[in-house]
Amino acid sequence: MGKDNQNNADATNSAYIYGAAVSASWADASLSLTDLIFEGVTAALKDAGMSISAADSIVLSAHDLIDGRSLSSMVTAPAAGAYLRDEIRLSEDGLAAMSLAAARVEAGESEVSVVAAWGRASEGDFLATSRVAMDPFTQQPLGMSEMDISAFRLSRWMTKHGVATPARAAALQAQKKRAKTNPNALSAQSVAHPVSFPVHADEGPKWADVVVAVIIGKKPSGVRVTGVGHSTDMTQVGDRDLLAMPALRDAAKSALSDADLDLKDISIFEVDGMTLSDEAIAIEALGLCSAGEGFKSVSQDSRINLSGGSQAGWCYPAMGLVRLSEAYLRMRDKSKEPTGERKFALVTGQGAGGGQTSTAIILEAK
Amino acid sequence: MKNPVAIVGVGQTKYRRKHSDKNTEELVRDAAMAALMDADIGLDQIGLIIGGVAPDSLAGISNIDMSSIARPGIPYFRVNTGGATGSSALLAGLSWIAAGRAKAVLIVAVERMGHATSAPIVFNSIFDPIYEKDISMSTISMVALRATMLMQNYGFSQEHWAQLAARNSATSMKNETLENPRFFTADQVKDSGVLAWPIHRLEACPTSEGACAVVLAHESIVGDRNAAWIHAARGLSDTYAIGDRFHRPEGSLVNLLTLDLSAKAAYKDAGITDPLGQLDLVEMQAPFASSEVMAYMALGLCKPEDSIAFTERAIENRASIAVQPSGGPQAANPVSATALIRITEAALQIRGKAGERQLDGIRRTISTGQGGATQFSTAVILGADKP
Repeated sequence: MGKDNQNNADATNSAYIYGAAVSASWADASLSLTDLIFEGVTAALKDAGMSISAADSIVLSAHDLIDGRSLSSMVTAPAAGAYLRDEIRLSEDGLAAMSLAAARVEAGESEVSVVAAWGRASEGDFLATSRVAMDPFTQQPLGMSEMDISAFRLSRWMTKHGVATPARAAALQAQKKRAKTNPNALSAQSVAHPVSFPVHADEGPKWADVVVAVIIGKKPSGVRVTGVGHSTDMTQVGDRDLLAMPALRDAAKSALSDADLDLKDISIFEVDGMTLSDEAIAIEALGLCSAGEGFKSVSQDSRINLSGGSQAGWCYPAMGLVRLSEAYLRMRDKSKEPTGERKFALVTGQGAGGGQTSTAIILEAK
Repeated sequence: MKNPVAIVGVGQTKYRRKHSDKNTEELVRDAAMAALMDADIGLDQIGLIIGGVAPDSLAGISNIDMSSIARPGIPYFRVNTGGATGSSALLAGLSWIAAGRAKAVLIVAVERMGHATSAPIVFNSIFDPIYEKDISMSTISMVALRATMLMQNYGFSQEHWAQLAARNSATSMKNETLENPRFFTADQVKDSGVLAWPIHRLEACPTSEGACAVVLAHESIVGDRNAAWIHAARGLSDTYAIGDRFHRPEGSLVNLLTLDLSAKAAYKDAGITDPLGQLDLVEMQAPFASSEVMAYMALGLCKPEDSIAFTERAIENRASIAVQPSGGPQAANPVSATALIRITEAALQIRGKAGERQLDGIRRTISTGQGGATQFSTAVILGADKP
């Protein structure tokens, strides 16, 4: 979805990132959901060296059923700093909220915007709530959930590429190791919801209470949004190519075009996926490796998901914004990333329904 | 506006208590195709679709938009700001076009609340789970609190609420989007039973289903299309706690602070200094008579001390501005779509396509959106002339 008038390679019309914060916890009884959100947004503002008074708009990503409230943002938006500010809430993955906030900055409608997303898996069981999103006649009677879509995807992969037990084990070990060194990762023990065959129990996400906030604005800073892409897949899982993931592929293609870049120009990838196999197959769909090599890429490609991905803590709909935050925090960390040359990151976010919607954003740092 | 944008197409289904004969996909298709045909724009020219669905619980299916509104290959996301969903979605679409990401955006909002076994229970769960859920707080009891405050502080009476409801009922008879418009008198309102004093049953908006769609277009593709231009669009969010809004220096619970500030910002953007003199029509998201009175003041159509006199003129259709010519949300309130319908109705009037309810000389309008106990407010000004 490149711009019609100009692409984002033009730095004069861009949104810049000033700060970010990611927190992953589990069932902390001392903090309500609004407390968690307030702390998350406060941490991001502190990271940006700003107070909330600098912000003139808020874009949120949250889902009523996961928050357990019929209109979640009534209670939660003020905790994110929305009082007497322009605020819009999406019931979409957090990276879509980031994209909309960036559009508002690019349009000159906002000088500084707070983007926040959350999902408290200890209170809102994502898999349970995902069942009521399924077709009431053909899917709900089967108890189908998001986990089953992941299982179908892996099952399809296995029919083409085999069980790949060693590659999957190596990928899982690599992700667990990376998550251990990620300061934003969940360190506490969380619940283990059942997975669906052929996903292995430990390949499922590490369920967490996730809050993520990013502060963006018009004034140039170190990292800018240089490309944005969105796309949408078929609704019915049976109609989709679960391995090619055309919505994800097209979103990334649009973002690259918007940034006037090729995939080979990107040095950091943060790819969203609920399970290990979702991440591996998304990596293949993006063209980062050959078909069938996704798990190998997870374990061996040092450009991809160094945050630990879904093993670092996961709950819809926060994760696309978490992926962006992880890439941003890495890009500005001089101890990990040498400065002095242009550096690009590609991050992805998957919407509900097994990623029926996809968002891709490219960040640039110098 | 820096990059002028216009509404070039609108589409609406019939609004009725329950569409038992159509599924959500069919409702959305009817509204979306009507809007695209009205705009003479193909789906292939749409750069973004924005869905508007408010509480998932009302529809009974989570993410009902994903099968009904989202289209393969076209960027899509869903906005949810409660009752303001439709207008918030429009604001998001304007941002998209202003950022140069698309030339045309399709916005579709749909409501299936007729399928909720008990809407009041769903609406009870929008409130604070610790302090308010257990006292059966609902949208109606919340409105009742405000109506009594208006009666105590400004001298309004139940007669005013009944007469406003009757006025909107009479006006709605010309609105062909209502499948079963309800006609009633003020006396019938007062005899209709109390839901939460002083709110009577016939004053309350009916359970409503339906879909509304709008096509937004960048000035470069408007051409000779029949356009209603966006002159300003603003929104603000308030504190959640109603108790925090009783005694603020900026205004009390009935002063609708965020609507007041949104309207002021929109007026500034549109160069409006005298709303009553410069606007021809107002479509308010006012599902109850008392909500409408609060909006008069917040929009600067009258001062608080003149609010009773203005209300009485509005009841008699003597206000110098057309008030709710569609009948407003008291005639139909499909929650997710209502704020978009207010904008659509204003656009139809400007474009001269409002059918039997068409008024003469409508060149500039304001439409409001209100969501979450009037926590989320929007104000959208449309005009016949390109800004």
